[in-house]
Amino acid sequence: QHGRVKLKSTAQQEEEKRKEREKKLKIYVAGRDAIFTKRLEGVLDDEALQLTQQLLSSNPDFATLWNYRREILLHLETKMYEAELLFLESCLKVNPKSYGSWHHRGWVSARLPRPDWARELGLCDRCLSLDDRNFHCWDYRRMVVKMSGVPVDQELQFTDRLIGSNFSNYSSWHYRSTLLPLLHPESPDPPSPCHQHSHSSPPPSPQTHSHRVCEEQLLKEYELVQNAFFTDPNDQSAWFYYRWLLGRAEREEMISCVFVSREEERVAVAFSRPVNASSSGLMLVLDGQPQRVEWRSVHPHFRHSPVWPHLIVLPPSFTGRSESWCRDSATDQELFRSELSVEKTSVLQSELQSCNQLLELEPQNKWCLLTIVLLMRALDPLGYERETLSHFQTLKEVDSMRSAYYGDLCSKFMIENTILKMEYAEVRVFSLSDKNLTMLCHLDQLLLVTHINLSCNQLLRLPPQFAMLQCLEVLEADDNAIENLDGLYYLPKLQEVSLKNNQISKLSDLQLLTSCPKLTCLDLRGNPVTQIANIQSELTELLPSVTDLLI
Amino acid sequence: GTQVKDVVIKSDAPSALLLDKHADYIAAYGSKKDDYEYTLSEYLRMSGIYWGLTVMDLMGQLTRMNQQEISDFIKSCQHDCGGISASIGHDPHVLYTLSAVQILSLYDNVNVLDVDKMVEYVRGLQQEDGSFAGDKWGEIDTRFSFCAVATLALLGRLDAINMDKAVEFVLSCMNFDGGFGCRPGSESHAGQIYCCTGFLSIAGQLHQVNADLLGWWLCERQLPSGGLNGRPEKLPDVCYSWWVLASLKIIGRIHWIDKSKLRSFILACQDEETGGFADRPGDMVDPFHTLFGVAGLSLLGEGQIKDVNPVLCMPEDVLERLGLHPDLLS
Repeated sequence: QHGRVKLKSTAQQEEEKRKEREKKLKIYVAGRDAIFTKRLEGVLDDEALQLTQQLLSSNPDFATLWNYRREILLHLETKMYEAELLFLESCLKVNPKSYGSWHHRGWVSARLPRPDWARELGLCDRCLSLDDRNFHCWDYRRMVVKMSGVPVDQELQFTDRLIGSNFSNYSSWHYRSTLLPLLHPESPDPPSPCHQHSHSSPPPSPQTHSHRVCEEQLLKEYELVQNAFFTDPNDQSAWFYYRWLLGRAEREEMISCVFVSREEERVAVAFSRPVNASSSGLMLVLDGQPQRVEWRSVHPHFRHSPVWPHLIVLPPSFTGRSESWCRDSATDQELFRSELSVEKTSVLQSELQSCNQLLELEPQNKWCLLTIVLLMRALDPLGYERETLSHFQTLKEVDSMRSAYYGDLCSKFMIENTILKMEYAEVRVFSLSDKNLTMLCHLDQLLLVTHINLSCNQLLRLPPQFAMLQCLEVLEADDNAIENLDGLYYLPKLQEVSLKNNQISKLSDLQLLTSCPKLTCLDLRGNPVTQIANIQSELTELLPSVTDLLI
Repeated sequence: GTQVKDVVIKSDAPSALLLDKHADYIAAYGSKKDDYEYTLSEYLRMSGIYWGLTVMDLMGQLTRMNQQEISDFIKSCQHDCGGISASIGHDPHVLYTLSAVQILSLYDNVNVLDVDKMVEYVRGLQQEDGSFAGDKWGEIDTRFSFCAVATLALLGRLDAINMDKAVEFVLSCMNFDGGFGCRPGSESHAGQIYCCTGFLSIAGQLHQVNADLLGWWLCERQLPSGGLNGRPEKLPDVCYSWWVLASLKIIGRIHWIDKSKLRSFILACQDEETGGFADRPGDMVDPFHTLFGVAGLSLLGEGQIKDVNPVLCMPEDVLERLGLHPDLLS
């Protein structure tokens, strides 16, 4: 039950109400019992229709009664169904949000020899004019459109009308997101005219990626959305839709890095997406010889992971470097954002200008601020780094409820920038120190890193994904708030770990370090755990190979 | 410009957790058999019992409920086809089949039912495209995909369905904003998102969710009052403290909402007089909102309440006993 206000009333009013309800209850129960009796006896008559009609008028969620009516209707000629449609219309007027009513109407309509889909569409139009967020009605409409072959561009124009006349538009923008890829699909060949999809072909599943819309239409869409949020900068739906337009293609599934260590007799493979290597048929071929492989995930937590290490046996005649790798370029535009055409770049630049103008008028508008950040990321993530950081600071102030979200999103962007810059420097030493990081991500990009510096941030833990750093030898993570070391799991080359001034408080927090065979140096100074009695001897017992222990 | 739809919490709204009052409210609820609202809601009685028992268990008060009476009732609701109905005389449906299994799991007594027949019933609801109908009349909804796998997971019988196809269907319901709707093309809604992320957790396919995008959409459900709505431009409602919060927990982003403001909103939804929670401050209470208010508080770390599992909305200790540990993203 929703939206039932509690009202105070006098004792007399209470008594009157009670009598009223008692009467209503008696009538209701009598009706219900009569219906159940008839049903048990297998009766399918007009009286049953009358009785169920009475109850369903005030309680359309009583699903069993719709079932009973269907059983009766199955025994009647379909010309009787018109009365059913009229009855349903009255039900929907009273309660336009009952799953049972809408489903029943769909069932009745579909069973008609000549369903009047135009009438059904008209019903939807009327219902949506009263409440254009009624998802029951939208779903019914989608069914009617599908069954009757309403052209996609007609439906697109319908959304145009709704969006143009009303602010509560999320449902319309959502519908657009499903229609555009149908009407203006991205063609695989270079400039070909966008043509209308035949409505008889099965619609592709709703896309989460705007790259499935051809660029010409996409750029028009930017204009449409901009009009919306300039008319009303607080209309959320336009901003959500805009973020979708700025989104990027999902990366193709492929191998992004292969690392081989002769010394360790190990191979590690990194993919562009999480995969299940054990079931995907990933084959390892050494000098032309296929190997029997049982790929294991970097952490028991993951059946699907971007990184898969494996131990191999190299033939004794194998000579050459002690280790070797092959890796995609980190500045490959497609790593964190889509490649932009000249046209799209120009449009996005003018969008950025417009949004900046809007920001001058509405300096506290968090939607505008966030959108500017997203535009800058799309255009030039490294070039706009300073402005990005400044906007995130403002976002945390004007939308403080979501400051943790902004902290994480900013961290992600700073990590991306550091990875992009990695191409120009050493690929094996990686510093993220003093970047206000609240979380870690893109760890699958760091398979080759031997030295990592995470000091002076706000990290709470090293997540399980940290186990993807299969080449890591030295970890510096001082001055954070780390209390969990889940990710220090079977890191085969890890020798030195510095965790000064963190929040490690129990001996059990350090248990996983026993899985790192080469660990010899551990600095735990400034952690609550060092205050435990006998901690020195406890740690020596837990980690006997750590000869250089600082507490 | 548009005003943000929201409620204003009055200064005299409840701010302390009144657990004892809620337990008393639920314990007395079942005895109101001559109440008009109670009778009208008979069509969902099995779920109503599940809401009441679960919240009592979370508050450590399950023993106040009548296990025998409930067990007998559930037994009499299993039909020949194996499916369970909401109440005696009503027709079977996957919604109430799940509720029944959840109740009996609390009591560790699932075998009062014909489990094999129930599994067959659920299996029979799966369609060629992987979707699930709610019953033999064919309504398709991702809620039913969730009910199906949750039921089978509790029974240890997930092998009964075509999981790959089931996953394919749920993923086909993913939208531009990272959320999920009832059917392919349906608008994102917090209730459906809970069902779909819960489904994907049970299916071991959470990596298919765009957690950052969906997490953003979900954390934007929080309004200035601290309460959560179910989708943009809607009023806050305490039941979304569950649907939204549990979804965030499943995808590892629960820290993206302001916990203390949400907690204040949930507490303000209590009724100091009658016990129980309403959808928003000042409204009428019911067991549905009482469960989700308490479960939401549990997810927020309320010490006086047992830990609740975000996927199945059942006490963690019950799932521990069953050996069920659905995936969560970190």
